[in-house]
This record gives sequence, C-alpha cells and structure tokens, in this order.
Amino acid sequence: MNHKIKQQERIAGWLFVTPFCVSLFVFFVYALGRTLVYSFQSFDLFSEATWNGIANYVALLSDPLFALALRHSLAFSIVVTTLQTMLALLLALAANKKVRGQGFFRTVFYFPSILSSAAMTLIFMWLFQRRGVLNQGLGWINEHMGLLLICVVLFMAIQTVQFLMGRRRYQWVRWGDPFHFLVSLLLTAVGTLILAGYGIGVRELSEPVAITWLNTRETWGPLPRTIWAIVAMNIFTTVPTLMLLYLAGLQSIPDSLYEAAELEGASKFQQLRYITWPRLMPVSFTVVTLGIIGTLQMFDQVALLGDAAPLESKITLAYFTYHNAFPPGGTPRIGMASAAALVLAALTLVMVLIQRSVGVGEKTND
Amino acid sequence: MKTRKTLLAAGIAMIAASLPTLANDVVRVSGWGGDNVVVVNTLINEVLVDELAAAGITVRYEPVEGDFAQILTNALSAGTAPDVFYVDSFWAYPVFQSGKIDPVSDDNMAIADELIPSLNEAFMHNGQLMGIAKDFNTLAVQYDLDVFDDAGVEPPNEDDDWNSFKSKLQQVQSNLDDVYGLCVVPDYARFAAFALATGWKPFNDEGHTLLDDRFREAFEFYVNLVDDGAAVLATDLGQGWTGGCFGNGDTAVAIEGAWMIGFLRDQAPNMYYSTTSIPKHPETGDRGNLVFTVSWSVATDSKVKDSAHTLVGLLTSPKAQQWVLESGLALPSLEALGDNAYFQEDNRESITSRVVFEGASNGQVEPFQFAQYGGDWKAIVDEALSAALLKERTIDDAIAFAQQRYDRLTGRQ
Repeated sequence: MNHKIKQQERIAGWLFVTPFCVSLFVFFVYALGRTLVYSFQSFDLFSEATWNGIANYVALLSDPLFALALRHSLAFSIVVTTLQTMLALLLALAANKKVRGQGFFRTVFYFPSILSSAAMTLIFMWLFQRRGVLNQGLGWINEHMGLLLICVVLFMAIQTVQFLMGRRRYQWVRWGDPFHFLVSLLLTAVGTLILAGYGIGVRELSEPVAITWLNTRETWGPLPRTIWAIVAMNIFTTVPTLMLLYLAGLQSIPDSLYEAAELEGASKFQQLRYITWPRLMPVSFTVVTLGIIGTLQMFDQVALLGDAAPLESKITLAYFTYHNAFPPGGTPRIGMASAAALVLAALTLVMVLIQRSVGVGEKTND
Repeated sequence: MKTRKTLLAAGIAMIAASLPTLANDVVRVSGWGGDNVVVVNTLINEVLVDELAAAGITVRYEPVEGDFAQILTNALSAGTAPDVFYVDSFWAYPVFQSGKIDPVSDDNMAIADELIPSLNEAFMHNGQLMGIAKDFNTLAVQYDLDVFDDAGVEPPNEDDDWNSFKSKLQQVQSNLDDVYGLCVVPDYARFAAFALATGWKPFNDEGHTLLDDRFREAFEFYVNLVDDGAAVLATDLGQGWTGGCFGNGDTAVAIEGAWMIGFLRDQAPNMYYSTTSIPKHPETGDRGNLVFTVSWSVATDSKVKDSAHTLVGLLTSPKAQQWVLESGLALPSLEALGDNAYFQEDNRESITSRVVFEGASNGQVEPFQFAQYGGDWKAIVDEALSAALLKERTIDDAIAFAQQRYDRLTGRQ
C-alpha cells in the first residue's frame, strides 16, 4: 500500500515537472545547443551552413563594433545596477515609513513599472528632443541659477536667525525645527518672488539649451550620451520593481531588533548599517543579480530608438546580436550572432560570479 | 458489351485530361498593412474578381503588421512563406540572394517590359528579373504657396537649380518670422537628391564607395543650408522628417514623395500647396532622385507556382494599375500611364502624383538599395551628415571618417 502511494506520488511529481522540463529542453537546452553549433558555422538562414571553426569568434574580436558593444554593455550594467540598487533601497526605506498616505506613496513609487517599455521609450524620446522638456528645464535652471542660489542662501539665513533667536529662550530648539522651517520657507518664497520681479538673479540666455541627447556621437565618461539617456530611462522603469523586493525584505526584519538597538543607543545610520543592510543581503543578492542580467541583456529600449540614434552610440551586446541576425536590408549573419550571444551569456555568468565574490551573497550576513 | 463500356470510359478520361484545367488553386498573398490592405483587398475582391475566377485562382490574403522583412526572412528560411509577397527594393538583395525567389515568368516579362525602366533595375539580380514593381515613389519638392506669397518670393519651379532654390529659401526665412525654408534631416534618403545630381554613384565598378569631390560638393551644400539661413534642423522643430515640419506650417518646402498627399490630406487639409521637381545641379543641369519601390515576387517553394505567377500578372496588369492610379493610393509602375488624364488634372494631388511619377525617369535616378550591405551602408552616410549638421565634426572630418568606414565595409584597400 505504502509502495503504491509512493509510486503515485512519483508519477504525480513527474507530471508536474514535465511541462517545465519540456519547455526547458526545447527553449533552453536545444536552443543553446543549436546556438553553439551555429557559432562555429557560416550560415545565412538560406544556404547550407558550413563549418568555419572559430572564425566567427576571431571575427568578433577584430570587429570594432563588437568591442564597442562590449564596452557599452559592461559600463551600462555597472552604472545601472549600482544606481538602481541604491535608489530601490532608498525608495523602499521611504515607503516603509509608517506615515499617513503610505499606500498612496507606494502606488506612486511603483507606477513607472506598470507602463510598457515601448510607451516609456517613446515618452523619453519626446523628453530628450533637442527642443524637448528636458532641455527646456535645463534652460530654465540655467537662466535662474543666480536666483536659485540666492533662494538657498536666503532660506539658510532666515532659518539660522530663527534658530539663534529661539535658542535665547529655549535650550532644546534645533536648527531644523519644523515650525522654523515652514516660516523660513514662506519668507524665502516671498523674498524670491520680489527679487524675481526686479529681475535680480535672472539672466537671459543668448541661445536656448539644445543638447542633442539621442542623435549624437558625443560621450560622457564611459558611455555615449545616447546610452546615458537610456540609463535614465532604464532606472526609472526598473527601480520600482526592485523597491518592492526590498520592501518585502524590510518588512520581514523583526521590530525587536531595532528596539534593542535603540535601547543600546544606536543611531539611525548604525541601525541601517548593522541591522537593515546585513538582513537584506539575500534580497540584495536577488536585486543585484536581476540587475546584472537585465542590464546586460537590455535590448528593447535600444531597438525602439530606431533611427533616432546612430548605431555606434546605442549599440549593446544584445543589440549587436540582433543586428547581425537581422541586419536591416542586409544578409543575415547567424554565425556571428550566435557567437556574440554566447559571449553575452558567458559574460553574464562571470558578472554574477564576480558579484558573489565581492560579498553580495545569498545568505543573511549578520 | 463490357469492352465497349471500358473503351467509352477510357475515351471520356482522355477527353477530360486533354481539356484546359481550371486549377482553382489557393494562392497565399502577403504584404504589409496600412493603406496596402485597402488596395490589395479591393484589387482581389472587386477589380480583378472576374479575371481571378477565369484563371481559377482563389486568393488568401494575409497582410502582416510589424517588421515584414524579418517575418518574410524567417518564413522563407523555414519554408512557410506565402506564394506571392512584397519585396521592398531596400532589402531585396538578401531575399533574392537566398535562392528562394522564382524569377519573373516568361508570360509576365511582357508586363515588365512596359514598366518604367528604373523600376526593373531595382529588382534585377544576377541578370534575372526577380519581381514586378507594383508601385513606386520618388522625391519631389512640395511648397506652400501661401508662405511664398506672404514672403513675396517666387515659388520653386522646374527651372530652379541648387543656387536659385537656396536663394528662395533664404528669402522666405529672412522675410518671415517663425517660418524656415526647409528642415533638413541627416538621412541619405533625402540627401541623395543632391548627391546623385552631381553624377556621383553610391558604388563604383569595383563595388566600392568613393566619397569624391562630387559627393563633397553635395554634402557641403546640404549641410550648409542651415548656416546659410535657408534651413533648420528638423530636430530643432521636434520633427524627424521634412514632411512633418512642412505639415505643421514651420517650413516653406518639404522634400518628400507622393506619400505627402495622404499626410497633408489629414494633417493640413486647407494648405494651399503644390509640387515641383528636385532642383537641378547648377553645372550638370541634372536632377538626382531615388526610386522607392516594391515588387510582387513569387516563392520558389510555392506549390502553386504557375497560379502565383498568373496572379502577379493580374495584380500588375494595366487594368489593375489603372485602378491603383485613379484611387490615388499609390503610383502605378506602368510607363504608359504617364499620359493618363489623371496626371493632367489641375489639382494639388494630381500635380504631386505627376511630378513624383516623372521623377523616376528624370535625371540621375538610383533605386533605394545598397547591395548586400543594406542599412549598414546607409548608416554611414547618415551618421556623417548628423555629425556635420550637429557640428560634432567638420565637413572634412565627417567625410574622411565615413570614407574609412566604407573602405572597411566594402573591403577597399
């Protein structure tokens, strides 16, 4: 009887995993095997594939476009993964605060994630136009830079005066007193408006700001300006999902740890450093791993740019692979595309291993 | 008795076999969507109904929304391609090179002989015609008559060369606030109208690209239009094509094809515009132009190849082309239709169609295709134009860098 039940459980188990195994075999094992074979062949989808040894890999190494794509992918991955991990943690910490309207803030923070990548790319392309909203905003800041500086100095001065006056009567008054803050804000706003009315701190630009964000070959640091625009776009859409992961992690940390730490006199930063961060290590592992894989394989936002940016300014390894498989108006180079795809897969694996070796592991680091 | 019955049956069978067969083949047809769906559906369901029935052909039309070139490439590779389909001149080379396209049948060669010659050139491959051009477009100058009237400047005309054309644009731009002469785009698909007029060719006899003095002359003229006060960058107006600037009333002229008819019908129905030819080169007196065309081609693997060729013949027949012309949805490829009364009508759409139609046979005309290099070839000149227009490179540097890239692409030592 016992043997029969075990047998039935075994069959049920196999039935449950069979669909996954089939899809794993067809779409991963078989596809990987075919890609590996193609990477050693010359194949254009039509004529008979011919073996050419490691010629595709050699061609990759001598192709300046591949070197560029590799550099862009690595830099993009490091920049985006770092920034989005930090921002996701900060947003999660903010969303985890027990404040009024908590649900509203969480919804607002998460909102960018529910928008489709295609829609977001189109919106960002509009923002990044030479006469687009971003350049107009930069132009406004440039025009009003003096006024903005005056505004900050004015605020600090009023706040400091209030603090010094308050200190004469009450020893416990702090510089950042909320009531003083509101009064300073109000007085600064009035003062700034008066100054603006007289044109003080405002200058007219001889030409509007017209930075070319997309259709340019200019570079800033390790990346072309075009890819910096994609960095902004990518972070904006990805951070909310990662924030959710951190939020779930934060809520699993027992309050008693923080209470004990407070009793011991630990500051907020010390609590973050010695309780929150180590406890979030498994989440950080997931966030960083997803970040590395996602950024190295980033394709859609580059593809959707279309002719809006030169190939050299937007190419990444994933796009290089696609561009070789389906060159616009050209003959498919499936061998090169397969070799590039395998390099991308190996690179992803290496990056994840490096990440583990530098301390972002799967286990809680108490 | 039995022998007589057997002989009778055999006789009937022989007579049936000798009769012309009414095949009633189902032919799968595919192309991209948009306006084309209306054109093809009307052709097969209304215009050619009798001819299709007589030929025993049932058409199964499968329009594709999305990247048609990629879908067709996959389908041809997998052996699941439709029997008859579009092939765009831009990506024709790899498709023809694949060996999956059946050359135009002998019966249809008679139709091909009647087409505008430059259209057939776009679909020649290794000495064989691989498809019959179904329609086409070329470039022309659309101009806003009200703008030129307000500026007190004579509108562009057939006699304009580069200099007089630029002078008119400069005058409009200086006489009117907020209206520019033209908006320029870093795109070979527009720049070619000037480059080809100089006599420059994209490929020399060895198959290499040489950016010689003729190319440089056109490059300099095109890039300097902005600095000379005749044009503005399209991106500075938030646009990606010259038609967009023109339709918004931001520029006096556009350099586009007959697709502007439908665009302006929707975007600026009250615009009082007209169309003239691309300006001539001041020394050669030639105009440059590109032909954008699409063929009907037949798959080699088609199981109903004869019917597929018959269908292509019907879809490109004079009757079908006459209807295409009169519908105003596309320009027919048949040369004789140049004399059609539609082109002689004095309205903006007929004038635009006529000028664009004539563009295919007027001056230095090249098909919009770049051998086996496709978009990789075009990207180089586009990026050189972009770098020069945005002042990221000088004209000399932009051309020198582009030449290096062409040498690498085409294997020139």
